[in-house]
Amino acid sequence: MAKATDHDVLIAGAGIVGASIAWHLAEAGLRVAVADAVGPAAAASGASDGAVSVASKKPGVMARLATGSLLYTRDLAARGLLATAFAARPSYVFGTGAAEMGAIDALIAKLAELAGPVRVLADGGAGLLPGAGPGVERLLALSGEGHMPGHKAVRAYLAHPRITRLWPAALAGYEVDDGGVTVDLGTQRLRAGILIGALGASTPEIFPGLPVLPRAGQLLVTDAGPRGALPGALTAAAYLLAKTDGPGHEVLPPVVIDPLATGQFLIGSSREDHADTSRVDFVTLRRLLGRSASAFPALAERRVIRAFAGIRAAVPDGLPIVGPMPGMARVILATGFEGDGICLSALIGREVAAMARGEGPGPDWAADFAALSPARFSAAQPGRVA
Amino acid sequence: MSGARVLVVGAGLAGLAAAVELARAGIAVLVVDQAMRPGGAVHRQPLPGGRSLASPAQARRWRALMSEVEAQRERIEFACETRFGGIDHSGAVLLTGAAPALFRPRALVLAVGAREAVQPRPGWTLPGVTTAGALQTLLKTTGTPPQGRVLLAGSGPLLLALGAELVRTGRPPLAIIEAGQPFSHPAPSLRLPVSYMVEAARHLARLVAARVPILTGAHLRRIAPDAGALMGEVDTRHGPRRFLADHIGLHDGIRPNDAGLTDCAALPVLRLGDCREALGAAAALADGRARGRALAAQLTGTTPPTATSALAREAAAQARLARIYAHDGAAQLTDLPDDTVICRCEARTLADLKALGPAPSTRQLRLDGRFGMGACQGRFCAEWVARIVASDFGDTPRPVLGQPRWPARPISVADLLAAPNLTSGETE
Amino acid sequence: MSGRHILWNGAPVPFRAGETVASALTRAGVLCFGQAPQGQARALFCGIGQCQNCLVRFDGRLTEACLLPCHDGMALAEREVQQ
Repeated sequence: MAKATDHDVLIAGAGIVGASIAWHLAEAGLRVAVADAVGPAAAASGASDGAVSVASKKPGVMARLATGSLLYTRDLAARGLLATAFAARPSYVFGTGAAEMGAIDALIAKLAELAGPVRVLADGGAGLLPGAGPGVERLLALSGEGHMPGHKAVRAYLAHPRITRLWPAALAGYEVDDGGVTVDLGTQRLRAGILIGALGASTPEIFPGLPVLPRAGQLLVTDAGPRGALPGALTAAAYLLAKTDGPGHEVLPPVVIDPLATGQFLIGSSREDHADTSRVDFVTLRRLLGRSASAFPALAERRVIRAFAGIRAAVPDGLPIVGPMPGMARVILATGFEGDGICLSALIGREVAAMARGEGPGPDWAADFAALSPARFSAAQPGRVA
Repeated sequence: MSGARVLVVGAGLAGLAAAVELARAGIAVLVVDQAMRPGGAVHRQPLPGGRSLASPAQARRWRALMSEVEAQRERIEFACETRFGGIDHSGAVLLTGAAPALFRPRALVLAVGAREAVQPRPGWTLPGVTTAGALQTLLKTTGTPPQGRVLLAGSGPLLLALGAELVRTGRPPLAIIEAGQPFSHPAPSLRLPVSYMVEAARHLARLVAARVPILTGAHLRRIAPDAGALMGEVDTRHGPRRFLADHIGLHDGIRPNDAGLTDCAALPVLRLGDCREALGAAAALADGRARGRALAAQLTGTTPPTATSALAREAAAQARLARIYAHDGAAQLTDLPDDTVICRCEARTLADLKALGPAPSTRQLRLDGRFGMGACQGRFCAEWVARIVASDFGDTPRPVLGQPRWPARPISVADLLAAPNLTSGETE
Repeated sequence: MSGRHILWNGAPVPFRAGETVASALTRAGVLCFGQAPQGQARALFCGIGQCQNCLVRFDGRLTEACLLPCHDGMALAEREVQQ
């Protein structure tokens, strides 16, 4: 006889992916608990820009998932849940030099193939965007994308009354049996029908066989100025290349200039293979800012008020890890989004919630989710036992 | 601007004393200061040709230190109007302003003094309301008080000193509103150093002679605009009073000015004087000398000197002063009207703080409440946010807004990009 | 017009050699230096570059008036002029 459960599902990780899964399960009537070592949006979800962007995704699975998630995010915003978190806005990709020109051509081809909500409004020079500077040789203006600060979405998802909040409570281990999962949260042990690990960069602490690697990024925030100086995020095509090539191949800094609702700019970001958030250096910041100011010269009149490093959870093959652990249907993972979590969170939350209810991803998504399965790593093995 | 030098930030007593000791040991030093002249807050110098308000003892101390600096001018270089933009994890420092550079010093000495604490109250963001220290800076540099009536309020010995300086310049303050009751202690029981008592007696004599009311146990509760001036509403032990002023100087104590100044594993980083512990001028001078000598010994591989007791003496005196001035002013934070601004940078109010619910986390306070997210990074609100949050559950205040991040102060993008890179072996 | 002046909203404000903009404006009775993005008044507060409340725009940079040295003829305005 199995021991009774405290929760139908326990989710470890209160970032945007964990929060979205929790909301979808609670909405389906399940008893859900979310545990986090620190609290909501404590890691990448609270330290990033908030691009809900198809353009920046690798062609193939990621671009298709992003398209589906963008449409669903817009739907959730229209239904009210994400109304205060999500805002539709134009986006811009700029480039200079052969490599970036090639990346922009590939982007146009990708968007045409997706035939989704993201469309090329214009393809031309700096003249397309008032304020664009000499660093912009070619500019692509896109419609259909949007912006969603991670902490706002997390707050909206976790406000669901059927979600039990457990923090600070770090997942220390788990044990699976026929009737459920015993979850060790350090100070307490709970029983759940299913455990979902949405742990981001902390994943290897519990699931040592999974290749989730910390990838630090330095970001900076300017002071506030007139709102609307830049209508949407301005992304260097080098960012698209970085998403395909991984770190170490950068020719030009892969900057994103993100205008915030406060009238500030968030400028990111470097890609560094370490987990040390104290590593903020002037040379890197100047590289990011130099390229940003040449693309958008009004930045030179702003002041940097804060710089910091955030940690993304990266996977060597550039795909997140989503699905049940091999041979362990009661343990499901949703991690390794490397900065794409905000964009993908809506769709991932819906489909992982379906998996947890034993319904699996819908037929439209089965093939793409198969590519994200932890089974693709031969070293995937049961994690720390409680 | 070679990397072989020690960088001293702050040309006040602590920084200059350390620079002298380092130079005497043969070490080259670059002293930077954001102001136009050395002096720091205590020895802020009058404008060229102006008259100094320094006491004879202060003037003697400054002349003595400057002559020591002059004797070491071969090894000490000054860069005034130059801002310290921080140190990164690699040991590179950024200077902007008159002498911009990105370089690696041999060691970093932070001697950036103190800042004032000012408790929020309705109207504290109105033009004309400044810190008492800001008024004192105007007075020390120009030798003249600002036009109009001045009211001083808050708590601490600075209010008496500033009041006495205003008397000297012929414009006594309307009143000094002191939250503590420092005169309720019989003088011999204070066991303060003689120099403290002499200075206090001198200030009080001036204030009494000019008939300046000193209201103790009194709080400036609210400031409101009134016919082009500022109406200060004061709760005294004998009922409410109102003062119509043109300038109000607020001061609720001093704190180390160390926000956002990070350590660095790549080289020695020292904090000296008030920016390590706010103990006043005598302590800053002693601290600068002692630690300057110790750093010199560390850098030259010689035996470090033995510590002196001067600092402990000053710390004990400051602790006694704090007890003498003790008051419950911060208890009033919870009674503030909801629309009182707590975060000056982004005009976030007590209502915004309460809206976060009980026991908000650091992330909630920052991301949802936007406390500590403005340009001052919480210097002027973190202390009060911590107290207000703690009072939710009778807890003792603890830091809740997180550590300020680089840059210690906002740096213009243009300046950040323009500073020449003198770090060796690197390209951008 | 004799002596040295900065221009505040086009009007000459005298200053003494070595004086900061905040000092010269305060002596001239100018206490409000403009408006911050959240609507609050910009004005001298801490006097040592810490509080960021006395910002003025000069030479394409927002900077603390309490640290900015006066130079003859330098033009400053309450309302930020941006293209």
